[in-house]
Amino acid sequence: MTIPTLQGLQTSLSGLLAEQTALDTTGNNIANADTEGYSRQTALLEPNTPLSIPAISGHTGEGAQLGTGVTVATITRIRNVYLDAQYRTQNTSLSAAKTQAETLVLAQTAFNEPSSAGIATQLSNFWTAWNELAKSPNNEAAQQGVISAGTQLTSAFNELSAQLETISSQATEQYNSLTGPSGEVEGDANQLAQLNGQIKLAEEAGQPPNDMLDRRDLLLDKLSGMASVTVTELPDHTDTVTFGDAAKPLVEGTTVNWPQTLTEAAGGQLGALLNLTGPKGQLTALRTSLDEVASTLASSVNNHLAKQFFSGETAATLAVAVVEPSEVQASGSKSAGGNEVALEIAALRGGEAEQSYGALVEKVGSDVRSAKDDQTTLQSTLTAIGDLRQGVSGVSLDEEMTNLITFQRGYQASARTLTAMDSMLETLIEHTGVVGL
Amino acid sequence: MVTSSTLSDLNSSLASLERTTDELSSGKTILEPSDNPYGASRVIDLQSQLEGLSNYESDAQDGISWENTASSAMSSMNEVAQRVRELVVESANGTNNQGDLNTIATEIEQLTESIKQDANTQYAGQYVFSGTETTTPPYEQGAEKDEFKGNTETVARAVGPGGTVTVSTNISSLLGNGEASKDGKLLDTLRTIVGHLRSGTAEGKEALGTTDLTNLDTNLEALSQLQAVAGSATDQLKAALTRNEDVQTSVTEALSNTEDTNVAAVSIQYANEQAAYEAALRAGASIVQESLLNFLQ
Repeated sequence: MTIPTLQGLQTSLSGLLAEQTALDTTGNNIANADTEGYSRQTALLEPNTPLSIPAISGHTGEGAQLGTGVTVATITRIRNVYLDAQYRTQNTSLSAAKTQAETLVLAQTAFNEPSSAGIATQLSNFWTAWNELAKSPNNEAAQQGVISAGTQLTSAFNELSAQLETISSQATEQYNSLTGPSGEVEGDANQLAQLNGQIKLAEEAGQPPNDMLDRRDLLLDKLSGMASVTVTELPDHTDTVTFGDAAKPLVEGTTVNWPQTLTEAAGGQLGALLNLTGPKGQLTALRTSLDEVASTLASSVNNHLAKQFFSGETAATLAVAVVEPSEVQASGSKSAGGNEVALEIAALRGGEAEQSYGALVEKVGSDVRSAKDDQTTLQSTLTAIGDLRQGVSGVSLDEEMTNLITFQRGYQASARTLTAMDSMLETLIEHTGVVGL
Repeated sequence: MVTSSTLSDLNSSLASLERTTDELSSGKTILEPSDNPYGASRVIDLQSQLEGLSNYESDAQDGISWENTASSAMSSMNEVAQRVRELVVESANGTNNQGDLNTIATEIEQLTESIKQDANTQYAGQYVFSGTETTTPPYEQGAEKDEFKGNTETVARAVGPGGTVTVSTNISSLLGNGEASKDGKLLDTLRTIVGHLRSGTAEGKEALGTTDLTNLDTNLEALSQLQAVAGSATDQLKAALTRNEDVQTSVTEALSNTEDTNVAAVSIQYANEQAAYEAALRAGASIVQESLLNFLQ
C-alpha cells in the first residue's frame, strides 16, 4: 500500500478542524466565565487512527505507521465530584446554622434587653410601685400606680409571648411553603427529573451534554441548602438523589417522590426550621421558660395577698385581676395605714422571678452567640471548599487567553502546512511532465 | 476567585467597623444579649438593684420627715405640759382665790385641747399618731371626747434589704383615754387637775401640789421617753441613708464597668479598623484590575 497523495491535505485539514473546535471551546469558556455553576470545558484531542505502511523492501525494510492527524474525541467538563459532595455537605450545615442564627436573632430582638423597653424595667417599676404604696397605703393615686405598673408588666409579657409565637409560626409557614405544592423543593425536584431524562438520552447518543450536567449540579447545590442530599450516579447517567431523611429518594431517574415527611434530622434549612419549632427546639424552650417566669411572678406575688393580683399561668394569659384601686391591699388588716404586705411584695425585687428572667435573657444571648459563631466558622469552611472547586472548574481568563494563543498558533501552523502541501501538489500537478507544453 | 475573597474580606472588615461605630455612638459595649450573655443578665440585675436602692433612699427620707413631724409635735406638747406644770405649781401655793383658780383651770383646759391638736398632726395626709389607722384622727376636740381612736399597730419604712425602721409613735401610751378611764396618763391627769382647780375644796387644793404634780411629772417622763424613741428612729434612718449612698456608689461603679464603653480604647480601635479598611479597599482596587488581558495584543 502506498501513501495516498492527498493524505497530507486531509491531515492538515483535521488539524485545522480540531484547532477550530478547541478555539470554539475556549471561546465558550470565556463567554461563560461569569456564569453561575459553569464548569470549564476542554476539547480532548486524540490522534486519528494511523495508516499502516508496510515495508517497502521485502527483506530489510521495516513498516511504519503514519499518523493521519487529530480528532476531537470529546468535549469534557472539568469537575471534581468529591469536591462537589464535600461542598454540598458543608452547605447543608451552613444553611442550618444560618437559619438558626437568623431566627434566634429575631427572638432576641423581641426581648429588647438590655433597654428601658424590656420586661426587666417593667418588673423594676412594678416593685417600685408597691414601695410607693407602702409609704401611703390608702392613697388612691398610689393604688392606681400599682395597677398601672402591673398592667404594663403583664402587657410586656403578653407581647413578648405573642412575638415569639409569631416567629415560631413564621418558621412553620416557611417550612410549609418550601415543601408544599409548588414549593421550591417540588420545583427543583421536577427540574432534576427532567434533566435526568434529557441527560440520559444525550449520553446514549454519545454526546455528553455539558451545560445540562452543569445545570443539574447547580440544582443539587441549591437542594443541599435545604436538606442534606446524597447523589448517586447510575450507569445510565441519571442521578438518584436522597433528600434529608425522607423514606424514598426524592428523584429516581425521571420519577419524583414528593411530598414526603421530614424530621429534624433532615439537616439544612428545613431541618433547622423543624428543629427550632419542635419539642426540643430552642424557640420552644424559650417560650416555655418565659411561661415559667410569668407563673413564678404570679404565684410569688399572689402568695402574699388574700385577693389575687395576677391571673393567668402563662406569659400569654398573664393579666391583672384587680380592677378598682381600692382592691389593692397594702396590708392584711383593714386599717388604712397598714403596709406590711406592700413592703413584703416590694421586697420581692431580686427574687426568684427576676432571677429566672435574667437567666432567660442570658440563655437567649448565648444561643444567638453560638449560632452566629457556628455560622461564621461554617461559612469560612464553605468558602474554602468553594474556592477549591472554583480552582478546578472555574474559568481562569489568563489560562483561556493562553489557550487562545496556543490554538490560534496551532491553526495558523496547520494552515501553513496546508499551504505547503498545496504548493507541493501544485508543483506535482502543474509542473511535472509538462515537457514540450 | 480573587474578587470573591477580596469582597468577603472587605465585608467582614466593614462589619467590625460598623460594630465599633455602634459602640462609640451608644457608649455601651453590650448592645444585645449575644454581645455578652452573662454581662447582659448582670446589667439587668444591677439596674434593678440601683432602682431598689433609690427606693430605699426615698423611703428613708420619707421616714425622716415623718419622724420630724412627730418630734416637733411632741416638742410642742412638751412646752404645753411644762406650762401646765408652772400653772399647777402656782395654783398650789395657796395665794390664789377661787376666781384665779378658775382662770387657771380654763387656761389648762385650752392647753389640753392644744395638746390634742398636736396629737392630731398629719404628715402627707396621714395622722402620724394613730398607729395604722392613719385616716382617723387619734383624738377628737372637746372635753368629753378623750378616747384614743387609733390603734397600737406600727408603721414601718423599708430602708434596706430586710431592714425596716418603725416610724410610728404610740401616743396613747402618753395621752391615754382621758378621765373616764382613770389610767393616770396625761389627759387623765390634766382633766383631774382641772377638776381639782374648779372644786374649790381643800383636798382638791392639797392634791394639786402632791398627787397631781407627781402624776404630771411621771407623764412628762413618759413624753421624753417617746421623744427619745423618735430621735433614735431618726438616727437609724439617717444611718441607713449614709449606708445606702455608699452601696449606690459601688453598684453604679459595677454597672459602669460591665456595660460602659472604654471610650479611649475603642476610639483607637476604631481608627485602626478604619485605616485597615481603607488599605484593603486600595489593595483590592489595584489587584483586581490587572489581568493578562492588559498585556496581550
